Amino acid sequence: MAKFLQQRGVKKLLKDRLAVWSMWVIGLYLVVAVVVLVGNVFLGGDWKRATEERVGPDNVPGLWSAVTTEDRLEHAKFYFDSVDKASRSSDPAGAYAALQWGADRLPDWSAEVIEREILEPARRLNEELSEVEELDDDPEALVKVDRLEALVRGRIGASHDQAGAASTSLGQRFRLLLGTDRQGRSILLRAIYSTKVAVQIGVISALISVLIGTILGAAAGYFGGVVDVCVVWLYSTFSSIPWIVLLMVLASAFRGSSVDGTLIPVYAAFCLSFWISPCRVVRGEVMKLKELEYVQAASAIGFGRARILFKHVIPNTAHLMFINFSLLFIGAIKAEVILSFLGLGVKTEPSWGVMINHAKSEVLNGFFWQIGTATAFMVVLVLAFNTLSDALQDAFDPKHV
Amino acid sequence: MSLLQVEGLEMHFPVRGGLLNRVVAHVHAVNGVSFEVQRGEILGVVGESGCGKSTLGKCLVRLNTPSGGAFRYDGVDYTHADHEELMDYRSRVQMVFQDPYSSLNPRLTIRDCLTEVILFHRPHEAEVRDVDEMVLELVQKVGLRADAVDKYPHEFSGGQRQRIGIARALACNPEFLIADEPVSALDVSIQAQVLNLLMDLKDEFGLTLIFISHDLKVIEHFCDRVLVMYLGNVVEELECETLHESAQHPYTRALLGANPINHPRERRELTVLEGDVPSPFDLPPGCAFAGRCPIAEPRCSESRPPLEEKRSGHRAACFLVE
Ligand SMILES: Nc1ncnc2c1ncn2[C@@H]1O[C@H](COP(=O)(O)OP(=O)(O)OP(=O)(O)O)[C@@H](O)[C@H]1O
Ligand SMILES: [Mg+2]
Repeated sequence: MAKFLQQRGVKKLLKDRLAVWSMWVIGLYLVVAVVVLVGNVFLGGDWKRATEERVGPDNVPGLWSAVTTEDRLEHAKFYFDSVDKASRSSDPAGAYAALQWGADRLPDWSAEVIEREILEPARRLNEELSEVEELDDDPEALVKVDRLEALVRGRIGASHDQAGAASTSLGQRFRLLLGTDRQGRSILLRAIYSTKVAVQIGVISALISVLIGTILGAAAGYFGGVVDVCVVWLYSTFSSIPWIVLLMVLASAFRGSSVDGTLIPVYAAFCLSFWISPCRVVRGEVMKLKELEYVQAASAIGFGRARILFKHVIPNTAHLMFINFSLLFIGAIKAEVILSFLGLGVKTEPSWGVMINHAKSEVLNGFFWQIGTATAFMVVLVLAFNTLSDALQDAFDPKHV
Repeated sequence: MSLLQVEGLEMHFPVRGGLLNRVVAHVHAVNGVSFEVQRGEILGVVGESGCGKSTLGKCLVRLNTPSGGAFRYDGVDYTHADHEELMDYRSRVQMVFQDPYSSLNPRLTIRDCLTEVILFHRPHEAEVRDVDEMVLELVQKVGLRADAVDKYPHEFSGGQRQRIGIARALACNPEFLIADEPVSALDVSIQAQVLNLLMDLKDEFGLTLIFISHDLKVIEHFCDRVLVMYLGNVVEELECETLHESAQHPYTRALLGANPINHPRERRELTVLEGDVPSPFDLPPGCAFAGRCPIAEPRCSESRPPLEEKRSGHRAACFLVE
């Protein structure tokens, strides 16, 4: 360890203030991820369940702000607008769907109330509207819609806020720190749990990709000939497919299988598309290294080719493995967000991508806590990692040492 | 019988190109070289950059497989021997490399580096003796301090690294050493130290040496006999003791002229070589040196002069030399 710290590259890295800061940030994320991972295993999945529990009304803003009636009306405005719009465009099915949706997103009303006050009028509305051809010509229908709107508005006005400001327990205050999503689940808990998912995906896919890429690339560069031709053919083929398409194909290939929705299809998809860049870089480096005299000396001594490859060549590509790992780690995290956003990624656990996906409709209502939290968690990690990998590149690139 | 016999050794590297990656030409790096090395002697090989000295050395330790000709070591032909058959040969014949900065694995300490070689080539000895002790002994033999063993190559100077390179070759316990410009990359003051070290080790281990250099001055002092190479061919072979007097080939004379003189009043005719070395891709039919030779005649560029014994212990490839 002391020797490691003495290395020129490491010394240089530790002098870089930004690099040290980003290492602390990454360290924090890693600690959180490990604690969540281990804690969750020990508690038999309790923490995962905690992320699915309702902790308060839906879409409560963070920082324990009181939810005023105006706020909730503001959030419901979109709903009224859409009912209105749907009913005007002679689209009864649309109007009904909007009502249904509105009913879903105000779940702190009792089911009975929803049934009586929203669903029933909606059904009636639906029937009536379906009989009318030109909606604009029928003032009756419009009146009905107005009545429904007033009804809902009245319910909201009457429902008092039960959100954060009222609750006093420390745990509850923690859970409501960043508000709730549209199903009333704690955004903070979900974002923290997602850290584990992100780090897990990043570490595992980057590690496997770098290993596969390094071994294939080193073998191609060192042995040349048929091995090289095969490896080059393989990665040219894979890299001619846009990676996002490859990811989508692979992710959907697992659909319906027993591992669907877990992290396994995600790992498989990432490893298959991410091994290419380390492979390419390592192959080039090894072609250069094998002409170096210490590798020739090892052959002249009579060492076998496997020993030369694993002991004398691959260890000297370690700086490339480092750099590629840090690039792929972040690449995997970002790709996971994209996949989950498209609904192809993680389904059984919360992840930043899933959160952003869910936040789509909230954003339309002017509720930014969920998308903001997920994005902030991700941006900080990505930024720290990019800073660190730049610093790593500077510190370990043999040209600069 | 001589220890090493080389007969018409050729190394032609294929050059690939075009869409289908076909062989479009050959680099004639070594082009039919014959010589012998006696046990216990130091044979110098001299020639300008790119004339195929390193390639010759690499063929002899089978880093390259010669594309033609043959060589026999101690009566056994190793020209096309495979990995297993070469094991014994590799422990007897080792190479010291040209560039001390790239000839050591940066990730291995000196101890790791030498231990690996000792365990590989002398496992029986290593069972009886302590390997660390053997490593220390080697390190001290090449004139480094004992505390050097746990350092990494980048912690050493060029001269020290070259000593480590020599120690690595010696770790195989060889009897024949091919030293490829072992001092070219070093300071003049360090050159002498490393040369003296090689000389001492030669006596101590009873080594036979091929010493490659582009510096005739160094060869003259260090070697018994010298091969002068030009574009993959041996153009002259002669004793070092009488180098100045008996050198006949115009290329050798030009090389001698290129050495700095020892005294300002010392005079000699200075042959400045003009023109370029021909391309090693397509060699001219005649003498490769003809284009630059100050005394060339028309017949020189028509057919190649063979390497003939001109006097005992002196061979030259030139029509105009008796
Ligand atoms: N593996 C190879 N493939 C193709 N050509 C090669 C290869 N190795 C050497 N050559 C060519 O063979 C020729 C001789 O090279 P070599 O390294 O033996 O020269 P040298 O006499 O050792 O020169 P120097 O004094 O600069 O070390 C050069 O033209 C070089 O380009
Ligand atoms: Mg050379």
